[in-house]
Amino acid sequence: MRQSTRPQVSIRRDGERSWLPLVLLILGLLLLVSHESGLLAPVENAAHYVLDPLQRVFWSVTGGTSGLFQTVFERRDLRLEVEELRAEVNALRVESVRLREYEAEVEELRALLNFTSEYPMSSILGADVVSRAACESYPCGEVVGLEPNPYLRYVAINVGAQQGVRAGMSVVGRGAALVGRVTEVGPRTARVQLLTDPDSSVAALLQTTRGTGLVVGQQDGTLQMEYVSQEEEITVGDIVLTSGLGGFMPKGLVIGQVTEVQQKEYETFQTATVRPAVDFSGLELALVITSFEQIPLDGMESD
Amino acid sequence: MAPRGKWGSEIDFYLALPLLTGVALIQTTVLSRIDLLGAHPNLLLLVVLIWAVVRGLDEGLVWAFVGGLILDLLSGGPLAATALALLSAAYLAGQSLGEEVGSVALRVTVLAALGALAYHVVLLLILSWTGHAVSWGSSLARVGVPSVVLNAVLAPVVLQPMRWLEQATDRDGVVV
Repeated sequence: MRQSTRPQVSIRRDGERSWLPLVLLILGLLLLVSHESGLLAPVENAAHYVLDPLQRVFWSVTGGTSGLFQTVFERRDLRLEVEELRAEVNALRVESVRLREYEAEVEELRALLNFTSEYPMSSILGADVVSRAACESYPCGEVVGLEPNPYLRYVAINVGAQQGVRAGMSVVGRGAALVGRVTEVGPRTARVQLLTDPDSSVAALLQTTRGTGLVVGQQDGTLQMEYVSQEEEITVGDIVLTSGLGGFMPKGLVIGQVTEVQQKEYETFQTATVRPAVDFSGLELALVITSFEQIPLDGMESD
Repeated sequence: MAPRGKWGSEIDFYLALPLLTGVALIQTTVLSRIDLLGAHPNLLLLVVLIWAVVRGLDEGLVWAFVGGLILDLLSGGPLAATALALLSAAYLAGQSLGEEVGSVALRVTVLAALGALAYHVVLLLILSWTGHAVSWGSSLARVGVPSVVLNAVLAPVVLQPMRWLEQATDRDGVVV
């Protein structure tokens, strides 16, 4: 046994000035600028080859087997016969849980299937969510999302460039509800910016009056429909859909429901608070719309 | 920082990379699900902060930079944002502030609070600088301040395993 020769807690100090903080600061700023200009995309893609599979493994392990480990631990001190019986019970329990999972998945897939029959012009890809950023523990609207970065809201899904996913594609959940948009694509994963991310904005229309506006994500996890003309009548409960304007996503995807209207006489536009149709905390399956029929720009045709 | 031999540096490197990768993966897959009134536990931040306290500024900064970059690669945000935010936190924690305070746990708690605050402010600054929509008041009130408090409370819990790790990997002579 070696004897400790230093204090119980070693608190070390540099006797001399180090250039390391400055070097790392400059290196960090260079990386930041290079990333913003897109120069680092190949390097980042290479890093994703390593990190993405690890993330998927972590997700599946932490999401599914903690209860199993606990069961194994508890059985350690039991007699053989009891162990066998308990093993059988456990196997049945696992089977039961699996069946319940399948039941939920079938329900989810049925809902998604409805989407495909409603939107036959779209090509879609299914994906499991392998990492999530927002609304995990509490109902949406109450939670400020987190990713690793607590001020952003993204999820990673396990389909990527190899499956035909490209940046800018729309992602939907059950009931044709818009989840968000693909912003970054790895070989087998993609990062999706959720509707509720503060940087997210989607061209939208009100289902009843057809009034148009822009739905923007908010820090508190809600949505704001902005730039709605004062002439439009917005009522609480109105359904908000994608308008398809700009050609970036299909028309008619459900965004959410109006919960509050802010109208001031002296302002040019009115604003509405919108509750997202997607429960991001329960998001497990998502569909990437890889192609869709764009709205014909009739008004722009000259002849 | 005390001088470290070549062997010790290699051990640190081979230890740091998988450790920080594991912590970053735990952060994105497990801890991302936890939300306590807007506060989020940030294991990587705490690990880096405490490593800067027990191992000195330079090692804390390297861990902050490497760990931050790994987390950035798992994030939808700008690359190096977390790395720079963690650098600021590690820089604060690596100073000799409050060494006269008798309780290490208390000192780590205070440094964790200061470091976490610096982390959130720098993160918001970078997001703002890179063109993201940032609402300073709402972000700090809803996320920043609650997270500072939570991570300061959690710091003494993380201190114990980090002290063990520090002693277990020390090649300057001291393992019991």
